Amino acid sequence: MEKFVFFGGKGGVGKTTMSAAYAVKCADAGLDTLVVSTDPAHSTSDVFDQQLGDEPQAVEGRDGLWAMEIDPDEEVEHHLMETKRALGDQVSAALVNEIDRQIEMAHQTPGAYEAALFDRFVDVMRSSEHFDRVVFDTSPTGGTLRLLGLPEFLEGWIDRLRRKRERSIDLFEKAAIGNNEPRRVMDGDPILARLRERKEFFEYAGRMLREHTAFFLVVNPDELSVRETRRAAAGLADRGLTVRGLAVNRLTPSPDDDEDGRGARYLRDRVATERAHLQTLREEFDQPLVAEIETRIEEVKGDFLTEVAGELDIETTPPADPPADAA
Amino acid sequence: MTLADRIDRYLAVVREWGAGLFHGLFTHPAYEKIEKEAEDIEDTFMLACFPDAFGIPSPVSYYTAELLPYLESEFEAWERRMWDRGSMLERKGEQYHF
Repeated sequence: MEKFVFFGGKGGVGKTTMSAAYAVKCADAGLDTLVVSTDPAHSTSDVFDQQLGDEPQAVEGRDGLWAMEIDPDEEVEHHLMETKRALGDQVSAALVNEIDRQIEMAHQTPGAYEAALFDRFVDVMRSSEHFDRVVFDTSPTGGTLRLLGLPEFLEGWIDRLRRKRERSIDLFEKAAIGNNEPRRVMDGDPILARLRERKEFFEYAGRMLREHTAFFLVVNPDELSVRETRRAAAGLADRGLTVRGLAVNRLTPSPDDDEDGRGARYLRDRVATERAHLQTLREEFDQPLVAEIETRIEEVKGDFLTEVAGELDIETTPPADPPADAA
Repeated sequence: MTLADRIDRYLAVVREWGAGLFHGLFTHPAYEKIEKEAEDIEDTFMLACFPDAFGIPSPVSYYTAELLPYLESEFEAWERRMWDRGSMLERKGEQYHF
């Protein structure tokens, strides 16, 4: 089993429950496990009945289990401050305001939030050497797919920028005919250094996602959820990431045979519909069903979580070759 | 003044004219053109980094913003060139002296 495990799926299917249950299972098997929530609507705190923050925190009452909730807003703020500090160190007072405006604007763009989220979770991967397993509870399908598509896209982008920069510097050097001083020099160019650093960061992320990560999709036995799961599996496959298995959540319990009240008839019909969807999931998907979990009347917390963990058929063995953390 | 001195003075004048002519005919236009080309590439680099300066949202501005502190001279020159420039044709035309 890989070191990093992602749970994804449509909104409200129970990703948080599944990832928490799986983390509990790993922790019970003796692995040091960290659960990371990347969903802006965090609910990991609620599952563990404990306020979580942006740093890993030991979960009370459970050995070997830590949890954290990523806060992209804080990361955006931090990035903004960091960039401004570098600005103050580098740029003359006359130009600071002009560039400052540009930096502020860049942190307001629609992509900033996603980029920050991405940065954070790669950071978590990078600094996870204390943990045997890291479980990511992701945001609903669309956002996550875009997020996981980022490394490849950004690598290409950064590469093109780097080539442009190299060409212009090269020309500036060539323009320095005779004893002229070239306007820019290739050696020690801070821009090229930054771009290279960024590229390594994205390469690391891409490598970890492709080689050391397992993906599971959580699905409910209803039409919409099944369809979205199909799209998500295809979307991940397009990015070279394969889904390891499907965890079916919220199955309706069937009534006893001798019952024939209104409630029993309702349940019987509901179970029949769900069976049809389960059939579809079994036959039309390449991935195996790793869990079939019945609806609980109460919130899945505490002992319930251990119970659900028992029903998850996902192995917990530590990764055969843990990824090299240095990047 | 000896004959040798007069020859030397004459040669110095010829050398100065020669160097000036060479600079004006070859060196100057050459480096000016190369530098302008380098500036053009730098402009596309800057535009690729900061399209939001022109109201085009870019998903990577967040990452390129961290380059800004190191792009002081480029940024100013870029903005100036953007104001000066009427069209691409005009920019390319600047490289020729009619």
